[in-house]
Amino acid sequence: MKYLMFKQNNLYSSTLAKLQNINYLLLALIVTLFFIGLAALYSISNGDFNSWPLKHSQRFILGLIIFFIVILFDLRIIFGYAYIIFILSILSLIIIPFFGIESNGATRWISIAGISLQPSEFVKYTLVLALAKYFHSINNDNSFVKTLIIPLIITTVPVLLVIIQPDLGTALIILLGGISLFWISGLHYKYFMVGLFSIICSLPLLWQYLKEYQKDRVLTFFNPERDPLGNGYHIMQSKIALGSGGIFGKGYMEGTQSHLNFLPEMQTDFIFTMLGEEFGFLGTLILLLIYAGLIMVSIRLALKSRSLFSKYLSLGVCNVFFIYVFVNIGMVTGLLPVVGVPLPFISYGGSSMLAVMFGFGLLMNCYINRNIIIEKTNY
Amino acid sequence: MKKSDKFIFQKYDTENLINRRAALVTIAKAGVFSVLVGRLAYLQIVENSNYKKLSDKNRITHRFLEPQRGIIFDLQGRPMAVNKQKYEVVIIKEETEDVKKSLVKLQSILPNTPIDIEKILKEVNSRKKFIPIAVIDDLTWKDFSTINVNIHKLEGIYPQIGFKRYYTQGESHSHLIGYVSSINKEEEKSNPLSKLSTAKTGKIGIEKAKDETLRGKLGNKNIEVNASGREIRELDRVNSVQGNYIQLTIDSELQKFCYERLKGVSGSVSVINVKNGEFYALASSPSYDPNIFSKSISNKTWDNLLLDKYKPLINKSISNQYPPGSTIKPFVALAALEMGVSHKESFFCNGKHQIEDSSLESGYKTFHCWKKEGHGNVDMTKAIKVSCDVYFYQIARRIGINKIAEVCKRYGLGEKVFKSLYEEKSGVVPDKQWKFENLGSRWMVGETLSAGIGQGYFLTTSAQLSLALAQLINNGKRLTPKLVFENEIPNVYDERIIADPSHLKIIKNALDEATNMPGGTSYRSRINGKYQMAGKTGTSQVRAISIKEREEGLIKNKDLPWEKRDHGLFIGYGPTIDPKYAVTVIVEHGGSGSGSAAPIASDIFKYLFNKKLHLKRNEIFNV
Repeated sequence: MKYLMFKQNNLYSSTLAKLQNINYLLLALIVTLFFIGLAALYSISNGDFNSWPLKHSQRFILGLIIFFIVILFDLRIIFGYAYIIFILSILSLIIIPFFGIESNGATRWISIAGISLQPSEFVKYTLVLALAKYFHSINNDNSFVKTLIIPLIITTVPVLLVIIQPDLGTALIILLGGISLFWISGLHYKYFMVGLFSIICSLPLLWQYLKEYQKDRVLTFFNPERDPLGNGYHIMQSKIALGSGGIFGKGYMEGTQSHLNFLPEMQTDFIFTMLGEEFGFLGTLILLLIYAGLIMVSIRLALKSRSLFSKYLSLGVCNVFFIYVFVNIGMVTGLLPVVGVPLPFISYGGSSMLAVMFGFGLLMNCYINRNIIIEKTNY
Repeated sequence: MKKSDKFIFQKYDTENLINRRAALVTIAKAGVFSVLVGRLAYLQIVENSNYKKLSDKNRITHRFLEPQRGIIFDLQGRPMAVNKQKYEVVIIKEETEDVKKSLVKLQSILPNTPIDIEKILKEVNSRKKFIPIAVIDDLTWKDFSTINVNIHKLEGIYPQIGFKRYYTQGESHSHLIGYVSSINKEEEKSNPLSKLSTAKTGKIGIEKAKDETLRGKLGNKNIEVNASGREIRELDRVNSVQGNYIQLTIDSELQKFCYERLKGVSGSVSVINVKNGEFYALASSPSYDPNIFSKSISNKTWDNLLLDKYKPLINKSISNQYPPGSTIKPFVALAALEMGVSHKESFFCNGKHQIEDSSLESGYKTFHCWKKEGHGNVDMTKAIKVSCDVYFYQIARRIGINKIAEVCKRYGLGEKVFKSLYEEKSGVVPDKQWKFENLGSRWMVGETLSAGIGQGYFLTTSAQLSLALAQLINNGKRLTPKLVFENEIPNVYDERIIADPSHLKIIKNALDEATNMPGGTSYRSRINGKYQMAGKTGTSQVRAISIKEREEGLIKNKDLPWEKRDHGLFIGYGPTIDPKYAVTVIVEHGGSGSGSAAPIASDIFKYLFNKKLHLKRNEIFNV
């Protein structure tokens, strides 16, 4: 019955039906996270709503618009254009060295109509889109080369493009997001074993290609006291702020460490530190539970789809999101090296906000169109 | 179906496989989350006391750096408002266990400097812990060194060097430039400097109007402090940026001369360049010393200034409104000329003019000329020269109030001259609509007659009268009044507002006769020299004269109490050939315009002609 409703050409009633089919629990969790981010930014800007909080809100509203635009498309249209969307995002990565904006020694941004965007944020999701379409379409009996060579190229190209920016953190997330789809699609265990083994073997080689500061960060990660005022400084200060928060925290806007700007980019990558200092373990636990809840709901919605494409796509989005959260919190708690990865919905950053809303738009679209069956196409 | 290694992808039922793999991923995610929770529990619960110590001990803390205010220069580039070093004491809450104890101790070390402990405590509790709160604003070197000697006893107390505003021109410029003082609650939101409790903001005058330009940008630094809160070293710093300088059109020497000349009376002088609209002086008397505000002043001093009957805090050149009196007559005459009244047409003045008024017992109302015995036959030139009221009663009645109002407004009356000065008043040019909207009643003919001689509802300011005269005397060229040189002057008018240049000749001639021909109202103040001035006197009543009083004989101004005496006004321009300046002098309750205001204007013109005939901007470079 529901499937029939979507067949109607009446744009209004089909739009309405789509909106009625949205999973509002997921949306509510997203909005909750946004408000937590807003409160955190308000605290960091020392009670000045007009600086970061205002812009954060504007970006969220823009993100919501993107979210709703994405869910209004028929899933089959998204399936049809998946590769084109992916190629466009790759093109935007390619033009960066020519038209990009440099900042802190890395060229990550391009400016479109006066808005600076970081294409690598979007590539995380477009890669998932392209791989989902590919794995949906393949026949299992093809040869190894024929079946795996294309998805490997699809995955490697954006990863390499992002590495040369250089942005190791994002490249890693793109890579992990891609690999997670190989896994979901059922690739045999042995290939993962082989892959892992060859990565370990090639590590010494890769090391030489890392930039000096990237090497520093990795070294510092293994031994933070190596350089307490240089690279270890961030981790130390972040841990002091988190640790001094205790169980109940120092109180909203009362954080001593966070408000003293000892960490650069407090409002972006290290925002979790401030929440930990002001709200304590209880606060960070609740935040982690909300993230876990969002991921659980996403998985549940993903598995309701009938088509493989939808499942791959939604699980892929969910995985990328999870990796985001894990890498960011792992980084600020000293579990992972310092790589510039924002905390989704909470960190101040336009591209990341728009990209994550785009991703969840795709996921919600899959859920709304869960009963649609997509034909295999040969590629 | 059986699992087979032949396939690249594991082959169960696909549906099942995905669910299995997704379940494995979910379990992995749950594992990772548990690790994160465990890590947080370890950092925040187990290691809490260690990190707490670290966060309390060698803390990195933040300090804002106060910017210096921009300097205010005069026309010639003389600095009029500068910054001077001062010694101050602040307290930082997070560096002391007990704010009150520290303050009490400080008081015991400096018994002669009163410290308002309650007020400071309130301020401390309303701000962030790391923000320094001002305790003593401006301290002598001796007190400063006493504190430094005892610093180890004073937890959280910091002696530091700050800046205070100093006004080089003292009281002669105080109304115009204004002064700065601590930022109050309403100003907090719009002023980024409010993060600093020691920061000051402009309260009035140019300091307030141009505060955004002058205030500069906060800097900040991160410093490492030890357990007792003393700075160990600086980690990084963003320097504060001094506010931009501004240059006023005011010539400080001229302004000072005008102020000195006003000494002893309550009033104001404004001087404008009729060619470009630059105001060279805006003086007001009596005045106050603006430098007292750089320290916190006592309530008594403030009350004395506030309650003084000569109102020293008010800028009388823009904030006090006066009926223009007879100084309006050149503009009424101009309105008449525009309505086609011939300047040759004469009226007979017998000292009074009557109009019908059914509300009165006699059936008519009498309007008197200032000269009881009348002026006889009066044409326009003579009417301005001798300031005949009856002529203007007749003219006003003929052309109507709306025409008078239209002309006055066109020349800038009834409108603020400097849009940016908050304390400026706009004055009133009454017409029928104004009265209906503001008083809710119909316009009466008698009110047109009053308006014709600048009485009744009419109100203007000194700066307005100068601007109006300047725009008339420069052959009707519309001016952009200027007080501050801006980088871009937004709108330079290029329009003539005079209906017919021949009208100006008539008015100018009449004003010339009023000053430079025997019998003119300001003949006694004429200048005999290479250059002459010309102008119109005005005497504006502040009280109604009753019929009884008229019958019994008018009371002389000098026999009245000061507050009831007439205001003396004079508007004039000079030199009479190729005019350069327009000057307005208003002497509050000075008796008459010719007796009080014209002599002052005459002296100012003499000064201008002798010393300042070619005033020009001296641009400032490399500040």
